[in-house]
Amino acid sequence: MPSLLELQREFAAAVLAATPDATRLSVYRDNVFGNWNAALAGAYPIVRKIVGIEFFDALARAYARAHPSTSGDLHEYGAHMARFAEDYPHTQDLPYLPDVARMEWLAHRAHFAADAAPFDFSRPTQVRLAPACALLESRWPLARLWEAHQDGSENTTVDLDAGPDCILIHRLAWRVEVCSLRPGDYLFLERLQAGDALGPALEAAATADAAFVARVALAAWVQTGVITQ
Amino acid sequence: MPQLGAGIGLRARHFAQFLGAQPAAGWVEVHSENFFGAGGRERHVLEHVRRNLPVSLHGVGLGLGSAQGYSNEHAARLRELVERVEPAFVSEHLCWGATAGRHYNDLLPLPCTQEALALVAGRVGQLQDLLGRRILVENISVYLEPGPGDMSEGEFLAALVRRSGCGLLLDVNNLYVNEVNLGRDALTQMRALDPESVEEIHLAGFFEGEHCLIDTHGATVADPVWRLYEAALERFGPVPTLIEWDTDVPALEVLLAEAAKAQSCMDARHALAA
Repeated sequence: MPSLLELQREFAAAVLAATPDATRLSVYRDNVFGNWNAALAGAYPIVRKIVGIEFFDALARAYARAHPSTSGDLHEYGAHMARFAEDYPHTQDLPYLPDVARMEWLAHRAHFAADAAPFDFSRPTQVRLAPACALLESRWPLARLWEAHQDGSENTTVDLDAGPDCILIHRLAWRVEVCSLRPGDYLFLERLQAGDALGPALEAAATADAAFVARVALAAWVQTGVITQ
Repeated sequence: MPQLGAGIGLRARHFAQFLGAQPAAGWVEVHSENFFGAGGRERHVLEHVRRNLPVSLHGVGLGLGSAQGYSNEHAARLRELVERVEPAFVSEHLCWGATAGRHYNDLLPLPCTQEALALVAGRVGQLQDLLGRRILVENISVYLEPGPGDMSEGEFLAALVRRSGCGLLLDVNNLYVNEVNLGRDALTQMRALDPESVEEIHLAGFFEGEHCLIDTHGATVADPVWRLYEAALERFGPVPTLIEWDTDVPALEVLLAEAAKAQSCMDARHALAA
């Protein structure tokens, strides 16, 4: 009789087998791929809207075979979608898809990230980027793509040639939001993320971007909870 | 243990309602992994709800029976959640979920063998030591007999309780599904269990698939399952009972109506026993 380990390996191989069969094993196959598909759909709603639901199902199956799930927590599944989309032959006509996936994975992580403690004004110089924030630079207009694919904005068109975008992904009132940043703000937050102290980060931003006003930026990012201690 | 009565799952669709007026549920259960995040909305809602209602943490991803072992990191995150939530119950499934490093993210069936029993009993013991408390282990729906067994499913569950000191979360719907799918008589499985060992009951709806019944948690509880539930109440007493509904989650009122139905079964049984 096979050992439990052998039995489980055989069972797993049969579930993954590429040739579908009409046995009860297909119930497990449908469940397993269905769970992976649902997890990807949850993390990548915009990618799914862009490629369409049916196409996404096929893409999710291919992804599952290329990047096995390595956690019992399905919220961790799907981390490699951007790289997968870069190489996936059937989405090469959508060159912005990998960056959309990058944005969505950061948004997915931001959704579950730690809450930031309320800002302590008694030590205003020790600041850092809040855990539920991320920065991303792209040659595609990501913030507009994000906006255009929110529920209720289905008919918005996006000019893909609008130029590069530097975006902030952050959580406001439990909702993840995406916005475009001006060069000074992006550099400022990027420096904080890299571990720079407040003074040098503000200085770098003001030097690079004449429109950057330290006092205004600081007030805005503290107020929105983007910077914390 | 105070009598919790009937409870419902706390699902994202109803978060806003739980943050408002407290719904008329005796207690709620959540899938542990959905609250593994360090912060955010899920955690905020759970912090709010746990102040008003007993919470049960129900794990779906650990895989107690994976021969390769379970992830210590996963178990550590569960421990962190247990410490934070101080739940009424902590439960895991009697299943496996990963092999050769790949997770299948599903509840896969174990054969009812001595080898599987020894493995799971050891793992349950480890987990109970880590969490510093007893856990409940739940019987799953099975679609395909995973291999020859040395004992019945009921005997396996009873032996697991004796060896590990865990309690049982008896899923009555899963017993029914396995009776139909595999010919495992549900009442026989129940009779194999120590009446004191069942501390929670699950009720859910199944889907009639092409090949067998499928435990989708996406419908109301079926009539034969209600009848089995009556038999379970008779054997195990008015055990806290949860209505599970995970796919196509309906309006809160529908869940509460199912829970009320379970509550009236418990009340009727109690009146009869008094």
